[in-house]
Amino acid sequence: MAPILPLHGAAPTQAKASIVTTVDAVCTTCPFCACGCGIYLQAEDGKLSGVGPSRHHPISQSRVCARGWGAHEAPAWGERLTEPLVRRAGGLTPVTWEEALDAATTSLGAVQAAGKAVGVLGSARATNEENYLVARLARGALGTGDLDSCLRSTYLPLARGIARGSGGRAPWGRLADIEGSEVVIVFDGDLASSHPRAAFAVMRAVARGARLLTVSCLRTQLARLAALHVPVSPGGQHEVVSGLVASVAEAGGAEESVPEGWAVEPPAALAEEVREAGRWYAEAERASLLVAPEAVMGNSGEAFGAALALLSRMSGHLGRPGSVLLPLPVRWNLRGACEMGVGPDVLPGGGPLDDAAALERLAEVWGGEPATGAGRDAAAMIGTVGGLVVVADDPPSALRDGRAAVQGLAELDCLVVLDAFMTPTVRAAHVVLPIASHAENEGTCTSADGRVQRVRPCAPPPGSARPGWQVLAGLSAGLGRAFDFASPGGVLDEIRRVVPAYERLDERALDEVWGDVVAPQSDGRPIECPARFGDPPRASGDASHLLALDGVFDWGSDPLVAFAPTLSRDFISRRKLFSGGLVEMSGEDAKALGVRPGWPVRIKSLHGEVTLPVVVRREVERGLLLVPFAFRDQVGDVLGGHDIVPVQVTRPEG
Amino acid sequence: MDSLFLPRVARILDVRDETYDTKTFRVVFRDRAAQDGFEFRPGQFVELSVFGYGEAPFCIASSPTRPECLEFTVRRAGQLTDALHRLGPGDEIGLRGPCGNFFDLAAAEGKDLLFIGGGIGLPPLRGLIWNVLDRREHFGHATILYGARTPADLVYKDELKDWAERSDVEFLVTVDRAAPGWDGIVGMVPVLFDRTELRPSTSLAYVCGPPVMISFVIQDLLMRGFSEEAIISTLERMMQCGVGKCNHCAIGHRYVCRDGPVFSYSQIKEMVE
Amino acid sequence: MESVTAQVIARARVGAWIERLMAEAEVIAPVLAHGGDEVFAAIQSPDEVLWEFANPVHPPKQFLLPQTDPVVAIRRAGNGYALEPIVDERRRILLNIRSCDVTGLAFLRRVHAADLPDDSYLRRAAAVTVVCLACSQPCPLGFCVCSAAGPFAREGYDVQLSDMGDRLLAEPGSERGEELLSAAGDLFRPATSEELARRHDLEEQAKRLFGEETCHFASAMRRVSTGRVADELWASMTDWCLECGACNFVCPTCYCFSVKDRRDGDGWLRCRTWDSCQYPAFTREASGHNPREERKDRIKRRFFHKVSAQYFQRDGVVGCVGCGRCIEVCLGTTDMPAVVAAIRKGEWHG
Repeated sequence: MAPILPLHGAAPTQAKASIVTTVDAVCTTCPFCACGCGIYLQAEDGKLSGVGPSRHHPISQSRVCARGWGAHEAPAWGERLTEPLVRRAGGLTPVTWEEALDAATTSLGAVQAAGKAVGVLGSARATNEENYLVARLARGALGTGDLDSCLRSTYLPLARGIARGSGGRAPWGRLADIEGSEVVIVFDGDLASSHPRAAFAVMRAVARGARLLTVSCLRTQLARLAALHVPVSPGGQHEVVSGLVASVAEAGGAEESVPEGWAVEPPAALAEEVREAGRWYAEAERASLLVAPEAVMGNSGEAFGAALALLSRMSGHLGRPGSVLLPLPVRWNLRGACEMGVGPDVLPGGGPLDDAAALERLAEVWGGEPATGAGRDAAAMIGTVGGLVVVADDPPSALRDGRAAVQGLAELDCLVVLDAFMTPTVRAAHVVLPIASHAENEGTCTSADGRVQRVRPCAPPPGSARPGWQVLAGLSAGLGRAFDFASPGGVLDEIRRVVPAYERLDERALDEVWGDVVAPQSDGRPIECPARFGDPPRASGDASHLLALDGVFDWGSDPLVAFAPTLSRDFISRRKLFSGGLVEMSGEDAKALGVRPGWPVRIKSLHGEVTLPVVVRREVERGLLLVPFAFRDQVGDVLGGHDIVPVQVTRPEG
Repeated sequence: MDSLFLPRVARILDVRDETYDTKTFRVVFRDRAAQDGFEFRPGQFVELSVFGYGEAPFCIASSPTRPECLEFTVRRAGQLTDALHRLGPGDEIGLRGPCGNFFDLAAAEGKDLLFIGGGIGLPPLRGLIWNVLDRREHFGHATILYGARTPADLVYKDELKDWAERSDVEFLVTVDRAAPGWDGIVGMVPVLFDRTELRPSTSLAYVCGPPVMISFVIQDLLMRGFSEEAIISTLERMMQCGVGKCNHCAIGHRYVCRDGPVFSYSQIKEMVE
Repeated sequence: MESVTAQVIARARVGAWIERLMAEAEVIAPVLAHGGDEVFAAIQSPDEVLWEFANPVHPPKQFLLPQTDPVVAIRRAGNGYALEPIVDERRRILLNIRSCDVTGLAFLRRVHAADLPDDSYLRRAAAVTVVCLACSQPCPLGFCVCSAAGPFAREGYDVQLSDMGDRLLAEPGSERGEELLSAAGDLFRPATSEELARRHDLEEQAKRLFGEETCHFASAMRRVSTGRVADELWASMTDWCLECGACNFVCPTCYCFSVKDRRDGDGWLRCRTWDSCQYPAFTREASGHNPREERKDRIKRRFFHKVSAQYFQRDGVVGCVGCGRCIEVCLGTTDMPAVVAAIRKGEWHG
């Protein structure tokens, strides 16, 4: 046959059967925030090369945020762990898998034999399957409740409060439902940057005529779009919730009476506006209530969650189709990690440690009683346990006290780390077990709104790295409790048996479309009346300003951003310009102090003092000083372990 | 045709410390023919590769009248320049170029020349200055004014001495803040304007330095009677490709890497972001 | 060789034709991917090719200008390095791409050929054969009539197909297109005059269906080019943009990039990687200084590059093919028609 094509370009490799698809695209879940967008990861000749949007994905709907567009970068460009390493004289040394697993189990055994505790950290960066095996490794093989993930405390208390205050009927609703809301209330941190897809849903609702109420200590992008923005001091969010509860009760039609001591008047300056917003909320057919992870700083997350549930319940929005009550986990699979039981006081399934039915199921499936003791949280573990197994978590970057984490890790007798990337935790490890990154992994994850979706591999893991579930199985076997799984699918099957909400997950929906949504689980407990809140710290006298951290997490320290050349640029630049930290304040405050951007100010609290250069940020309210989470260690002494402290701020002499 | 992005390998001959954070690298192409065939004009730049770190633009600080090697004066400012500073004699880098336009020497012939450099802004002028000094008879008066933040920030200290001693060029230097041992002039660059004879009607003024310094020097020159066309500067922008494709350095529809980096003030004034 | 005129192939024989194409080159066409997503991908069988489809949200640009595009291999050689340009001249056929995308590829070819020609792009593009499938039905978001990019392609295709139900009419648009059709001669026959007339009617009908211009570039261009867009107008848009960069990435005419080295064995691959003028880091200098630190300046920049007379003069067209993708992907509301309308009216409503 004559050539059909003129000979432009190189001929395909051979006959037609061997024309390779040089670009592979695999539909998977975006690995960054908890919105749960669907993306296509692309690989060219086996190497990750790009990202494509998914038009029909129910969450992303053709959209991908800046981070999502860089989902291929870190696995391809980052400092990857490619072979098992064991610390010997002179540092981390490559060894075989057998040697590494043996070193890990032997050392952990020795720590336990010496009467010291061994703890385990799962992660919001790990799949459901990995997190479930983490929980099983801790409560099953190691018999300990010292089990946590660094970011759990930013989500689980809030989610638990919402569940308890709603009788297990919330978190409720879908991100996409927000777009159809008539009223949207956002307790904002800065969703526009932390959860772009959720922020877009809010934006779209506003564009369609919804009334937006934002409550935040920052005039964020969403606040600027709001019909009403209520500025609060950090820790003061609950006063607005109380005001809204009062207003909903007053508006009538409340489905139940206000519990004793609840309907508190908001601060007088805001009373009228909050009352108005409460009426909007009560009267709307469909209304959304979103909580950014930063909104609970300075408050009990559990009390705050319960208060929100009360508000949602009283207004009748709880459980109403089209209405939404969602706390937004700060990082990818944080909700899944909590539901898999990664926490010192939860069981797989998210139930309390005394949940008899859950314990019975676990004992049957695991072939042995699970450890039922409440363990220490991540911060308490580091520094007290003798051995630690860390799965894709990084305490120095994620914990509130980063310095203490670094020091605590260095003092461990045995630190075993499973990760795909070189992190500060890996650098401190005694045994390093390289695992697949999100782009090479197989499993499921759970979005903010409860959608359980597949994570699909688009490239082989580098070197001899293995999927995390396999390594966890090997580790458990070495500790005398073999897991019997042939695939991550096998792990999911077991998850179905012990996590009630996951029991009815539709396999076909997982494989063929966009996953399946787990419904809220009523645990049959009585609805708990929210606890009262403490008074938030207030500025007074010389201590005329409040100092707080901006954010509860730093994307710039996350390996998926830090190792992504396009995504890391802003963070690198800021770190370089402000290597010693910075403090953000309003232009008015800077003017009053007589300082210009870049000039130093001295910040002094009861606990300590620090001098930092000023960055003027128009979003910051007067009287507030914010230090980005990335620079939290620079103000650790001033905060003295608190979220928010009153401070005196002055311009240094000379 | 060669790829637009293919550098040629060059070898570092030696490295000289200029200041605490600035070094001058003397470099030759590994391939002799490439060295001989590398033609450039003062004001042009190259894309310099540090392998594994990518590439970045650096002006050629040497003069085409001294073609035996190329010189680059580089301040440590980021990952790539950090890596470059760790390299030494014999290490290999990549060079791609020359890129961009250049100082129009033909137009300068017969004119009085005023060179005004601030801090790390001297290197782009240095090639031009040596070119002029090496062909001194073609030009009128030559004046070099140089300012830096502190004495420690002055680059090319040996050459500054040389220029100061030469009778065919007037050279004045100032620092913003004096330091022990400095008995010279203190103040921003324009303080030098009153210490020399400016010849606005017959001069071309070449101004290179930090953006802030450039803008106040230009304002001063305009007030002293220099025309907008007679003030020539180089623009700095974030650049990636150096060949007018990547769009990082675009100002309006102009590209600093292709239409510049050398612009007259009358051109700069017309540019809109 | 006698010039080839419009040809016709019976629907039933199209599969055989595609099989022949597949024997010669990688054939990339719209196919159904996960969950019914329409995407461009290399096909394994003619049956996969879509003939009635919503244009994929990710344009075929990705095959000529991939998000990560290795351009130079850097290898260690002794104590030094050996550098080698990476040339991709794989033969590819883009089948069933729409006129907006055809126009976009023609645009990209022009900008890469202009001034200093970008050989690595041009060589790859030279090995690509473009088979356009003209649009007879408007798509929900497209406005190609406003930028003269559709519904039928005018330039940039090798072959343009018109769907006539039981048959396809194929018009060559280049010498290569003529060769492509003549080489498959036994599958095609010359079009009859009735078929040619029907093809003409189809285009006229499509134009009518696409309706009036909805994105008025001309008046926006006048304002953008002369700086007559108030700063406050750009500022008012900033809260309606989440800076995702998707408008750039899915735009058939956007081509900004960065250059970086990616480790590969004991050496590196120097890659150009997509970048977005909407990202703050796009113009930030090593010193930290950023001439476009504010979002309003970045939005302004995007539309200056797209619709200013200065760029129109340079490129010969506006930098928009009216595909409507920026509307579909926008994580906000600052898409092309919305902003063009705002510039024209001097008002922004979100």
